[in-house]
Amino acid sequence: MSRYDSFTSDVLIVGAGLAGERAAIEAATQGLHVILLSLVPPRRSHSSAAQGGMQASLGNSAMGKGDSPDVHFADTVKGSDWGCDQDVARLFANTAPIAVRQMAYWGVPFNRVVAGSRMYDGNEILDEPDKEGLIAARNFGGTAKWRTCYTADGTGHTLLYTMDSVVIKLGITVHDRTEVLSLIHDGERCSGVVARCLRTGKLKVYTAKTSVMATGGYGRVYGASTNAIINEGSGLFVALETGVVPLGNMEAVQFHPTGIVPSWILITEGARGDGGYLLDKNLHRFMPDYEPKKKELASRDVVSRRIIQHIRSGNGVESPYGQHVWLDIRHLGAEHINTNLREIANISRNFTGIDPVDNLIPVRPTQHYSMGGIRTNIDGMAYGLEGLFALGEAACWDMHGFNRLGGNSLAETIVAGTIIGGKIANYAKEATLRFNSRQIEEHVRVQEDRIDALIHGRNGNENVYELRRAMETTLSENVGIFRSEAPLQHAVDELHELHQRSLRVGLRSGGQGADPELAAALRITGMLRLAYCTAAGALARTESRGSHYREDYPKRDDENWLKRTLAYWPAGADRMELKYEPVNITELPPGDRGYGEASAGGASANR
Amino acid sequence: MQPQKALTRNTKADFVMELVQTVSGLLLVGFLWTHMLFVGSILLGVEAFDALAQFMEQYRLLDVAVVFIILTVAAHIGAVFRRIPGRLQEQKIVWKHARTIKHSDTWSWLFQAVTGSAMLVLIIIHVFTVVYAGIDSKMSADRVNSWMLWFYLVFLLLAEYHASVGIYRALIKWGFLKRHSLKRVLSVVTVCTIALGCVSLWIFYWLGDTA
Amino acid sequence: MGLRQLTFHIFRYNPEIPNVNPAIKDYILQEEMGMTLFIALNKIREEQDSSLKYDFVCRAGICGSCGMLINGKPTLACRTLTKDLPADISLIPLPVFKLLGDLSVDTGTWFRDISLRTESWVHTEKDFDPHSPEDRMSNDTALKIYEAERCIECGCCISGCATANIKPDFIGAAGVNRVARFMVDPRDERDEQEYFDVVGSEDGIFGCVGLMACADTCPIGIPLQGQLAYVRRKMAIAGWRR
Repeated sequence: MSRYDSFTSDVLIVGAGLAGERAAIEAATQGLHVILLSLVPPRRSHSSAAQGGMQASLGNSAMGKGDSPDVHFADTVKGSDWGCDQDVARLFANTAPIAVRQMAYWGVPFNRVVAGSRMYDGNEILDEPDKEGLIAARNFGGTAKWRTCYTADGTGHTLLYTMDSVVIKLGITVHDRTEVLSLIHDGERCSGVVARCLRTGKLKVYTAKTSVMATGGYGRVYGASTNAIINEGSGLFVALETGVVPLGNMEAVQFHPTGIVPSWILITEGARGDGGYLLDKNLHRFMPDYEPKKKELASRDVVSRRIIQHIRSGNGVESPYGQHVWLDIRHLGAEHINTNLREIANISRNFTGIDPVDNLIPVRPTQHYSMGGIRTNIDGMAYGLEGLFALGEAACWDMHGFNRLGGNSLAETIVAGTIIGGKIANYAKEATLRFNSRQIEEHVRVQEDRIDALIHGRNGNENVYELRRAMETTLSENVGIFRSEAPLQHAVDELHELHQRSLRVGLRSGGQGADPELAAALRITGMLRLAYCTAAGALARTESRGSHYREDYPKRDDENWLKRTLAYWPAGADRMELKYEPVNITELPPGDRGYGEASAGGASANR
Repeated sequence: MQPQKALTRNTKADFVMELVQTVSGLLLVGFLWTHMLFVGSILLGVEAFDALAQFMEQYRLLDVAVVFIILTVAAHIGAVFRRIPGRLQEQKIVWKHARTIKHSDTWSWLFQAVTGSAMLVLIIIHVFTVVYAGIDSKMSADRVNSWMLWFYLVFLLLAEYHASVGIYRALIKWGFLKRHSLKRVLSVVTVCTIALGCVSLWIFYWLGDTA
Repeated sequence: MGLRQLTFHIFRYNPEIPNVNPAIKDYILQEEMGMTLFIALNKIREEQDSSLKYDFVCRAGICGSCGMLINGKPTLACRTLTKDLPADISLIPLPVFKLLGDLSVDTGTWFRDISLRTESWVHTEKDFDPHSPEDRMSNDTALKIYEAERCIECGCCISGCATANIKPDFIGAAGVNRVARFMVDPRDERDEQEYFDVVGSEDGIFGCVGLMACADTCPIGIPLQGQLAYVRRKMAIAGWRR
């Protein structure tokens, strides 16, 4: 019996969430042979957990009147705190409406406009009869117009199920329960991946003209995260490990204002978008004090900071799991909560025993999204390796800069899938399949050797779970919402130490077949590298921008820091190297966001 | 689709079977309840019962009923037979399953199958007796006042249970009624018909004793 | 309520080692405040038996990965709190699906097969026009589609169904509900006879005997009795006209 199974295709896509599947559809409809790899059955991907919606400037709802890609573009750039690539943001904003309509054509049951008037936060909203039945939009943070298209609070779920239905219809090959271990490359070209079957534990080799990373975020390095437990960043660290592919802006980590205490499950922004309030221990609605204009719906980085600031000034609610604030949606009424916010009502009931129809929900800012990722150009091609693409949360395509707007990530997965999927197809049509078997053998042997070393404890017997806990604690305590030099330096030192220890992990389970401890051990070093890049990038960036807030450098510093961090991990090295590149600014020069600390403290001080 | 299935394809067959099962089941429930009312006429006196029996015989309604019951029962058995787990392993699976998930409507289905199978024998005996002997209050009384009393009691309970569960399942499957209210109504009806049957049996037993 | 010492009775089997028979193994664990089975199983794996297999993804009751028989009842482990269970907790993998090891079963492959067999995608002759506005739809219709579309394919309804346990080709409540989702969708141009070809059989809606364990176990509360009845009535009319 051979030591591994081999598969060949034109396009190999790692990750079968929305971004990966959308790109697969694009390539497959152009006649290419596509294989999708996924850690889990595609419909279980973390895309399904996105609740709130996807932004696209359709302008159908009354409160979205006058919306256009231009307004969407401006919101996105301001949200990013001018950290995004403006060509990408422009392309994105222009394509988003088409992407939404195509999803509706494929079958997503988006909520529709119902003509008539209703009350919202004390004002009357009148939806016109001539818009009746078109796709509706709800309010989200950091947007000038109501632009977030939604299916109740299961938008990601319905998008993913519809997307997957198209994948099934097209007969695209999916290998689920397969985990990527490394990229096959020669330092210049990527020609596929070595993967491990999570059913049998057997190694598999996939060769392809183009390889695509769409593995989502890496929030699990934080432990307390709204992310699914599969979001461990495998696509990112296998790219980083090549030594030639950089990760962009890893210090840009989004904390969602409303993770439920203490399971850290997400309560959608839609809850505030639909009119929910944040209350402190005195049941005082505090957001208008800080953000008189946008209130609860400033961008996520701002709301998260305001909550922590308010807690620090002694207004947090005490609990065994630390201090928190309250989310109040009671005034929205049972009917609205049980239809448009049903999933979060269920989450609240099931995980905390609290019925949000009558009670307050305990929430605290929680790690939620990584703006950083595999750095690519506007076509989705990764820096450093030919034939490698990345998209979705795994990529730093860079339309989010230092803060992503709610509803822009779901939209990104589909827009990027469409556009980059087309580029991938074009590339694959031109490319020829090139690999040599000695190269493959060598990559397989490296992985076999790693596995063997882990099983027999050849390098030591460090406990993988202990290392993980230590990594999670280090990041959560030192690389959180408010950052400063001493804790960041501590984190960098600690993570370096943990990284070195991770090379000495040994298993206790025997590692037979699809052993879960072996899978965890194979990931730990890569995850620590992602954590290290995050902490080191944050330490180096001596300014505050978007979600990256340095208490010792509280101002945005466009003179010195209007640039993107690129983290490289040279092959065989024990730490990464940082480089920087300028940010592409084409239309909208850096200015005031209209919310946040800079605006509140003297309006145009930062202009 | 496999060739052997393509060659014998009848896309409507499963639907027709389902229809036969449901319609025959409903007819049998209707028959059972009417039958119980007729038997219950003994409460109005021996004369009433015999008059009704005579009326039935006179217009050959009894024969019609017998033919009806044989055909309908045959159709019902033919249709529901496919539902009963045939192989030993399937039997083991369903019983283990019911014990594991502890779900009342699953248990009631198993009892439905058991009572149905048992009734097949009981119905044959009952129909044979009636056809062979005819209907008459005295004969009935004599029969009830013997070991046959147990036969009738068991038959009564099984038939009423099977009918009650059967009609419940048919109605919820087609979705016309809410489950919990339907269950409540059917329980009341079943208890009433069983009570009616028991009282009738008691009268016959008493009649048989005094004769 | 005081925190107890919990005893977990967990089904163990590794198909890679077929000569070791399936067995129930016991694990003792100290209960914690707000402990879910997600937390408990992770603790057991990290502290007692690192080879224990099970599936969690979102751990928030939305992805459908972690269905198992918890004290006999098919439901999602991630959102089951230990405080709602007795101190003895039995965990068995979901029946019907292929066993991958311990508590892990292959629901993904089963549901993919169902999607293929029921052709669960919008069938339309229309082409997508990127330059025109979307087709209109009433919000009520959208909500009705979403009601069925909420299914997370956890497989609890399938495991709870005695018929599905003995008939491998039966598509079960999840399959029928999936078809119902497309039946109410005006974008899908299939007529009733085409749907009849898909579900008008013993493997589809007419295989259902009305046990209603599906409706009683669905962890996210899809009204499966109503969905099954809706499809049954539609298919009865289609069958009658055939």
